[in-house]
Amino acid sequence: MSEPKNPTVSSSLEKPEDKEGLSRRDFFNEIAAGALGVAGLGAFVVSVRYLSPNVLFEPPTNFRIGPPSDYQVNSVTYLANQEVYIVRTSDGLFAQSAICTHLGCITQWKPELEMIACPCHGSKFRKDGSVEHGPAPRPLQHFAVRMMPDGELMVDLLELVKPTQILKV
Amino acid sequence: MTSWENTIERLRRTPVWQSLFRRGPARTNRTRSVAVFGNIFLHLLPVKVRDASLRVRATYYLGSITFFLFVILTVTGVLLMLYYHPAVPEAYQDMKDLRFVVSSGVFLRNLHRLAAQAMVVFVFWHMFHVFYRGGYKPPRQFNWVVGVGLLLLTLFLSYTGYLLPWDQLAFWAITVGTNIISYVPILGQPMRFLLLGGHGIGENALLRFYVLHIVILPLFAIILIAVHFWRVQKDGGITLREEHGRKEKD
Amino acid sequence: MDEKKKTETGFGSDALKDPRRIVFITKKTSAKVKGDVGRQAMSYPKLILREAIVLEILTILMVVVALFWDAPLEQLANPLLTPNPAKAPWYFLGLQELLHYFPPIVAGVLIPGLVIVALIVIPYFHVNVEGAPLWANSSLRRLGMFSVVVVVLLIFFGIYQAWTIFIPTLVMAGVAGTTYFLPGQGGRFGTYLRARPLSWWIMTWFIIVAIILTEIGTHFRGPGWSWVWPWR
Repeated sequence: MSEPKNPTVSSSLEKPEDKEGLSRRDFFNEIAAGALGVAGLGAFVVSVRYLSPNVLFEPPTNFRIGPPSDYQVNSVTYLANQEVYIVRTSDGLFAQSAICTHLGCITQWKPELEMIACPCHGSKFRKDGSVEHGPAPRPLQHFAVRMMPDGELMVDLLELVKPTQILKV
Repeated sequence: MTSWENTIERLRRTPVWQSLFRRGPARTNRTRSVAVFGNIFLHLLPVKVRDASLRVRATYYLGSITFFLFVILTVTGVLLMLYYHPAVPEAYQDMKDLRFVVSSGVFLRNLHRLAAQAMVVFVFWHMFHVFYRGGYKPPRQFNWVVGVGLLLLTLFLSYTGYLLPWDQLAFWAITVGTNIISYVPILGQPMRFLLLGGHGIGENALLRFYVLHIVILPLFAIILIAVHFWRVQKDGGITLREEHGRKEKD
Repeated sequence: MDEKKKTETGFGSDALKDPRRIVFITKKTSAKVKGDVGRQAMSYPKLILREAIVLEILTILMVVVALFWDAPLEQLANPLLTPNPAKAPWYFLGLQELLHYFPPIVAGVLIPGLVIVALIVIPYFHVNVEGAPLWANSSLRRLGMFSVVVVVLLIFFGIYQAWTIFIPTLVMAGVAGTTYFLPGQGGRFGTYLRARPLSWWIMTWFIIVAIILTEIGTHFRGPGWSWVWPWR
């Protein structure tokens, strides 16, 4: 605050104030504002927590897909319920997501083109999930595939792997 | 004719009528003013308007039409709610019921859908018209911003309503739309999770969109509409073509 | 307080008890009436009646159309099967068309965000409020800036091969530039265009591009978002 030119008039309009530090009124104002802020922040955090469900009834994240002999060499198999492709090449076998990395549409394997195509915005992926062209920014996500002791394969959707990781079978 | 007027006149003298309206017949400018500012709904409007702003060409009634479409949507929407369950797959079955079982059900759904599409058209048309008339210029800056808010609310309302029939069209349009949100840096994924109440579009998402569509967004829309009307009056009425020094021949 | 004494002496010396009223008269203000508002009519009944008629006509039209047009309803939602093509509501098809060209962060977040911000700030820019014609002072500096922005936009659209935006932008910029280089020509239409301010050009460009993109998304896109002719 700048010093008024005529102190007798303008300062007499204000309440007497302790120039040294906080006045009692300022102190309570700040306490009140702080309390409101803390309460508001708390309410916000609690609201966000309330709005995020803790239990979700979503499909299981790991599942068995049978023995490797179910999948022929040089084939792409679409598992509709899990929305993954099981691709078997001469090198081995891997699992990749069928969900387009662009905006989440379900892609389709086109055997005649040897291509995975997205119906929504025209993205095209190669057999190994890498982007051929189109708006998709990333290759299809690969998931870990494991051989179980009983000879069946298991896919874990929570374990993301690099496209180079292929299960030798 | 005269007996009809007599009946009205006698009705006007009853204590019940007088308790309702607290004014005489609107035959003088004073009582006409009271008719507007003494009514909680009409008082959002000005008591007097310039003759020039009553011309059809001044507004083409674009704002009024948008508002009336909102009224039609509210009425039909409330009626449709009586036969709708926001659950999977009941929501879709309710659509079939509306078409084949409920009397006038298909008509109400058609009217709701049609008015929703029309409202999007008219809200854009209204905005462009106001823009070309210079209606955003001072002192009406803030009302332009309120209008932008109403445009966004209209789009959100239409979009949340799009999921409710739970058919293929709805499901995939919302899938694509909500995946756009996840590209917002840092906050994208959490925002999408909160909006959908899950990682994908399922029962939780349907319920959330339903609540947004029937309560939260209409509530904000009603508040903003009231502010919008109020500010038209307070900012000096609608913008006339001559107002901003661009004298053009009609 | 002693009322009599106050009127006699004007003001007491204690400002807390007798606050002084001071009027500041700044430049450019005066008590004159701002302008003639013209003839006025009472809202009730003149405005209310017109609104009621609009409501009636609108309701009749809507009801008639709703009787003969059926709202679409497809199969039950199936999360395992994406229809081909999967289209958003028509008013978002322009956005979906953008998503086909640009990375999602640009088309889905940046461009819509910028459009909303641009709409909100329109009234707070002096140039928009003033509304002077685009080439009011025939300034070369403005022409330079205009050209740079247009070229940057064209390069941006060109890189992503968004020809359906590139061409309308080129045409609009061409028309705007032509009005600079051909003053006093083009008859009434030319005179009209030369009087348009910058905000008019930007908004008109936006509306034209939005309509073109929405139209393409609605009628010219088929399976896999490939180009189709609607009459085939």
